[in-house]
This record gives sequence, C-alpha cells and structure tokens, in this order.
Amino acid sequence: MIGTIPLSDVLLTSGGLFLIGLAGALLRRSAISIFLSIELMMNAANLALLGYSALWGSYDGQIVVFFVIAIAAAEASVGLAVFVALFRHTETIDVNEIHLLKW
Amino acid sequence: MEDSVTVERLLFDASAIVALLFAAVMVLHRHPVKSVLALVVSFFSLAICYVLLTAPFIAAIQVIVYAGAILVLFLFVLMLLNIPAEEHRRDTRPIQRFLSGAGILVFGAMLVALLRDAGVPERFTGAAEQAPAKAGEVLPLARLLFSEYLLPFEALSVLLLAALVGAFVLARREPRGAGS
Repeated sequence: MIGTIPLSDVLLTSGGLFLIGLAGALLRRSAISIFLSIELMMNAANLALLGYSALWGSYDGQIVVFFVIAIAAAEASVGLAVFVALFRHTETIDVNEIHLLKW
Repeated sequence: MEDSVTVERLLFDASAIVALLFAAVMVLHRHPVKSVLALVVSFFSLAICYVLLTAPFIAAIQVIVYAGAILVLFLFVLMLLNIPAEEHRRDTRPIQRFLSGAGILVFGAMLVALLRDAGVPERFTGAAEQAPAKAGEVLPLARLLFSEYLLPFEALSVLLLAALVGAFVLARREPRGAGS
C-alpha cells in the first residue's frame, strides 16, 4: 500500500506492460518496432522499481530508474544510428530481410 | 487492509489502463510513426503513475528524456528514412512465430501465477524505520546520487560520451559515397 495505491495494481500494470513489450519484440518484423517494444519493457521494469521504492520508503529504486533512463537514451542513440546505417546499405529494416550474418 | 477506492487509486488505475491500452496500440499498429506516437501517450500516462508513486523527479525526466528526447529521436529517424509501414504478407517462418506465441503465453501465465500465489507484500516492517519518501522531494535523491552512487554516475557520463561518438561514427555517410 503506497498511500492508497495497492502494490498489486502497480505490479499488474508493470507485468502487463512487460508482456505487451515482449509480444511486440518477438512478433513484429520492423526493427524500429522491436526497439520500441524494448523501450516499453524497460518502462515496465521502471514502474515495478518505483512501486517497491515507494513501498520501502527508500530512494535507491528511483536512482536505479534514473540510470535505466540514461542508459536507454544512450542505447536509443546508438541503435538508431545502426538502423540508419543499415537502411543505407540494405534499403530495409525488416529483420527477416537482414540476414547478412546468417549462413 | 481492504482495498479502498480513493481518488489517488482511481487516478493511478486510469492512467495505468491508458498506458496499457496505448502500449497495445503501439504493438499492433503497422504504421511506424503512429506506433511511436502511441508510445508517447503511453509514456505520458506512465509519468502520471510515477507522480502518484511519490517519484515526481523521475516523472519529470520520463517526460523530458523519454517522451521528449528518445521518442522524438525515433520520429526523426523514421521521417528521415521514410520507412514504409509493415505490409501484410505470408508468414515465412511459421515455426518461429508459433514458438514466440507459445513463449509469450507461458510467460504471461507465469506472471499471473506469480502475482497471485506469491502474495504481494503490502507493507514491509523495515519501511517505517527508513526516512519516508515525501512527495516532491529531490534533495535526498541528489544526496544519494552524488555520494553513494557517484561512481556509477560518472561512469554514466563516460557511457553517454561513448554513445555520442558511436552514434556519430555509425550514422556518418561513407566518405567515398557508397552509391548515394
């Protein structure tokens, strides 16, 4: 119970978001969509962290979330640069079409 | 401790439902730009949830960094590359599709079972001894960040610099012009 919000609500939301993100990452074919789904999964984890942080009355969870957001920013910039380079070479970002490293 | 319905809880549940809904829209939509915009809405309602979980600073950086910077970067790249919507077509890898679907279902079932059976703790006994997180307070966060977590914080700045350089090198056009 955080204030009046039960932790189970927080965890259910977090689990639901993670599940949606997982489904997107596994089922979509566009690399950008897969990337967005990964961002969504990170946010689901953030929500759970903040829920427990508020429950414990501690700030460590918030600090972890801070780091996660910063790392997501770094990851997004590098990932998008990879997609730009990839698109220039192959004219597609469909992950089924990109099989240069497959035998 | 019975479930009581309060304004706080209603607000949390409403924004959580909006977040879930727009996350689903993001996954289901085939047009990449619309899918990014749906994710923006989802992240905004998550920011409302963060405020209700007494983390207004995180909510602020969620809006500024996530919705404001990262997703706008996505939009920029999408519009720069002019990526078409995923077209409907025959599935080329049915086995992988099936395995993915089964994996998602198993994961979802595990999640539900865990949440129901493990018994979510409502309150920890140690919670009262620690300083309670007051809403809207950034000072203790900054104290922790610049004392106990100083090394990760500094490492993070190096990581961001490396990402900056890496993104620049990767996205740079080849000097001798590969075709274009």
